[in-house]
Amino acid sequence: MNIVVCIKQTPDPEHFSKITIDPTRGTIQREGIPSVINPLDRHALEEGLRLREKFSGKVTAISMGPPQAREVLELALAMGVDEAILLCDKAFAGADTLATAYPLAGAIKKCGTIDLVICGNMSVDGATGQVGPQLAELLDIPHITFVSNVEFRGRRSLVVKRELEYGYLKTEVELPVLLCVVKSINEYRLPTVIGIMEAMRKEIKTWAACDIEATSETIGLAGSPTVVTNIYERKVERKREILKGTPEEMARQTAAKLHELGVL
Amino acid sequence: MSNEVWVWAEQRNGQLMGVSLEILNTGSQLAQKLGREVVAVLIGYQISGLAAELVAYGANKVYTIDKPELSLYQSDVYAKILADLVQKDEPTILLLGATNVGMDLAPRVAAKLKTGLTAHCADLRIDDVGGKPLLVADVPGFGGNMVVSIACPERRPQMATVRPGVMERPSKESTRKGAIIPVEIEIRDKDFRARTVEIVEQKPEGAPLEAAEIVVAGGWGLKSVGGFKFIEELASVLGGSVAGTRPAVDANWVTEDRMIGSSGKTVAPKLFISVGASGATHFTTGFLKSKTILAVDQNPKAPIFEVCDIGICGDVAKVVPCLIGEIKKIKAG
Amino acid sequence: MDFQLTREQQMLKDMVRDFAEKEIAPKIPSYEEPEGDFPFEFQRRMGELGLIGLIAPKQYGGNELGHVAQVIATEEIARVYAPFGSHTRGFMLTTYLISRYGTEEQKKKYVPRLVKGEIAGCMTLTEPTGGSDMLAIQTKAVREGSVYVVNGRKTMISRYTANDIFATTTMTGERATTTLIAEKGMPGLTLGRRDNFIGCMTRAYPCGEVIFDNVRIPVENRIGEEGKGLGPIVSTVAAIGRIGGAAIALGIAQSAFEVAAKYAKERHLYGKPLAELQALRFWLAEMDLKIRAARLSLYYAAWLLDQGKSPRETAKEGCGAKYLCSKTAIDACLKTIELLGGYGTTPEFGVITQFKTALDTVNAAGSDQVMLQTISSELVGG
Repeated sequence: MNIVVCIKQTPDPEHFSKITIDPTRGTIQREGIPSVINPLDRHALEEGLRLREKFSGKVTAISMGPPQAREVLELALAMGVDEAILLCDKAFAGADTLATAYPLAGAIKKCGTIDLVICGNMSVDGATGQVGPQLAELLDIPHITFVSNVEFRGRRSLVVKRELEYGYLKTEVELPVLLCVVKSINEYRLPTVIGIMEAMRKEIKTWAACDIEATSETIGLAGSPTVVTNIYERKVERKREILKGTPEEMARQTAAKLHELGVL
Repeated sequence: MSNEVWVWAEQRNGQLMGVSLEILNTGSQLAQKLGREVVAVLIGYQISGLAAELVAYGANKVYTIDKPELSLYQSDVYAKILADLVQKDEPTILLLGATNVGMDLAPRVAAKLKTGLTAHCADLRIDDVGGKPLLVADVPGFGGNMVVSIACPERRPQMATVRPGVMERPSKESTRKGAIIPVEIEIRDKDFRARTVEIVEQKPEGAPLEAAEIVVAGGWGLKSVGGFKFIEELASVLGGSVAGTRPAVDANWVTEDRMIGSSGKTVAPKLFISVGASGATHFTTGFLKSKTILAVDQNPKAPIFEVCDIGICGDVAKVVPCLIGEIKKIKAG
Repeated sequence: MDFQLTREQQMLKDMVRDFAEKEIAPKIPSYEEPEGDFPFEFQRRMGELGLIGLIAPKQYGGNELGHVAQVIATEEIARVYAPFGSHTRGFMLTTYLISRYGTEEQKKKYVPRLVKGEIAGCMTLTEPTGGSDMLAIQTKAVREGSVYVVNGRKTMISRYTANDIFATTTMTGERATTTLIAEKGMPGLTLGRRDNFIGCMTRAYPCGEVIFDNVRIPVENRIGEEGKGLGPIVSTVAAIGRIGGAAIALGIAQSAFEVAAKYAKERHLYGKPLAELQALRFWLAEMDLKIRAARLSLYYAAWLLDQGKSPRETAKEGCGAKYLCSKTAIDACLKTIELLGGYGTTPEFGVITQFKTALDTVNAAGSDQVMLQTISSELVGG
């Protein structure tokens, strides 16, 4: 079974409150903010590794990002994936979700016949959850999001549980398919020391736009149908409005305020 | 090229999803601004009644695709139907509710149409961007510390998803008129690459605390008023979840899984109400990221008043019943 | 000078932090209970992840990632739960002792299983009459043909109920020590009274007496030469125990500091966060700089060992690091408890839990006074 897992590096959610805007350029300042692998991607990698253990085959991890994104691919290798590919090119920068899906699709197509693509359901920074389904469209394979359980009936047929807000849908599908997984699908393994040492000895392939035959209209800023027109910071300061009066008066004021806030 | 404002209306088990009404309302407002019609697209089985509802909620037109195979969400086919309709009619805007289904469907459709999609919009408006009236969406980012405004200048339709509970619902008026247009489509078995075979709905037994939009937590100060019944009533009238401090757990007023704080749960609901808790840091750390914090306590020096938005200092036994009464009044009228 | 961790070391740090936060932290209330089973699952996971093997030869199942790695892993575990930091040191002490100073048969017999966490052991030296004064021990071993017959009583033995082997130092003559590997189950080897010093009152860290009553230990179980049993012990403590103890203390200091910093930002008094009160700001700044200084000192001492320097050559650096780290841990814990006010000693904040181990770490593997003595010997002789 040939499996590809798409992963990404994001700023550490613990440090989100430290992210600021550069006032002169209106861009997000992420320097100095530590980075982590997108948490759901670890579950995606784990699922890929489990399926390889069950069916034998190959797991390739792919990430699109700046050179620093190597770090998430090193973690993937330390967990046990067979191959790691970094898509890195200035031309990819500034991409929205569609312009991210294009290079990923190009890279996956270059990997030969793929049976299964696995992604985390969404990333903690953008939290759009869009790249997976868009990637599936570009690869012309079905996709299933919010996947919390995968059961194989034979080698190519699966029954998948996809979470609803309260409950789930049961979906049947045949390979190839793209799955976007949620946290409850598995407990991911930690890399062992041996895994870490072996990961350092493996090569991470780096591909640029020319390596995957990406055209400039489909990638980067130029390939992004959406544009950012404005960014601003929003700090939460408590109002500390201490009410006065009789219990009845204070209750009335409070109810009115809650109504204004739209919580009633 | 209709340049209409379209809204994908989601139905599950014969009921319209609340968010679909909310985006219909937003769609109406956007359509009005553009001088266009607002159109709903409804896919499912035996949905004519729902289509009529959509008209009553403000849809000028409803396209219905009604087939038994489509009663459950089928990702490939729904995406194909929606994309095909859009390509024929060329609306300028397409909105979808960000339910688990909507989040599955919207990006696929956007990729088919090679257009832009903005997810989880907190606000949608028409703004003049470079001389053109564009749909501008505000999206909170990085855990809410940042707001990003996004537009889709060239490609069409301009797509956006909106989370449930963000926009307001429209009023329902049975006198409203609108066209309900059944659309005939041909679907073959092989179009269903992934086939949903079953829906299993699990009514939550008291929603998990972390998912609750409103949390009412009580502390030791309730001892003097005989316990938690105020908390339960207040939570009930607000449709919120009950929680407590460590002393409340020790007094058996709430179970341990409802404890807020450093050794309990951390929540960030729209509204967090603390009643009868002085506000020790190992409690407040569990809810500091809530959108709005209301505190009720009898001690004017209680630290809880440092971290709240609205503070009521008074006798809990008097204040809370009054508050419950006032809330009931507002909800009724 | 390159002050960066290598990628391997950074990935190790991330992995151990994840392990500690996901698998150890949630169970701390359970581990803090006074009675119950020893947490063997922790021992097993340490082996699985390869953390015991950081200082063991590849030939016997280790990975030789080194002493800086040892210190990183120990600190990260101690940061979450200090008693397990002590176990980390303990697992590595026994593994190092045998893989460095054992016979080929002993290495083959014990090291792979120690590395995997299948068995664990402890250096068994301390007695009521001597700990720091190592020649004051009174446990005797008398050679009788192919065995040593051992009689005596050891105290303060870590994991005394959970150990499979005891690397026991005995007297075989006037000023002559011999170290022997005793195994659980050997006739005459019994467990005595449980200790009651502050850090060993939970099921996470049982300590107590080990009693030798005519225990017959085969000569094959001798580590090093007869009469020269202290050498391997001292060298092992120097290599692993000093920097290991320092790392535990550093993890404790780090955890206390994090609690203090978070509390200072969240707790409001007089209308503003504590973090705006100058005296407290200075406390935080001091804590931070002391911890960073202690960390650099410790990493340097470990790095020197990784460069091939011997523990003897790096005595000043190793002892200095242990001294600095243990003082910093005590200081950070006390300041944090003070900062937290009345609730400072509740288990919720976790500082008191960590502090208990800090108090014990000061004295284990060489007390602060022994550290200063060693350094001064290097400086001015005597």
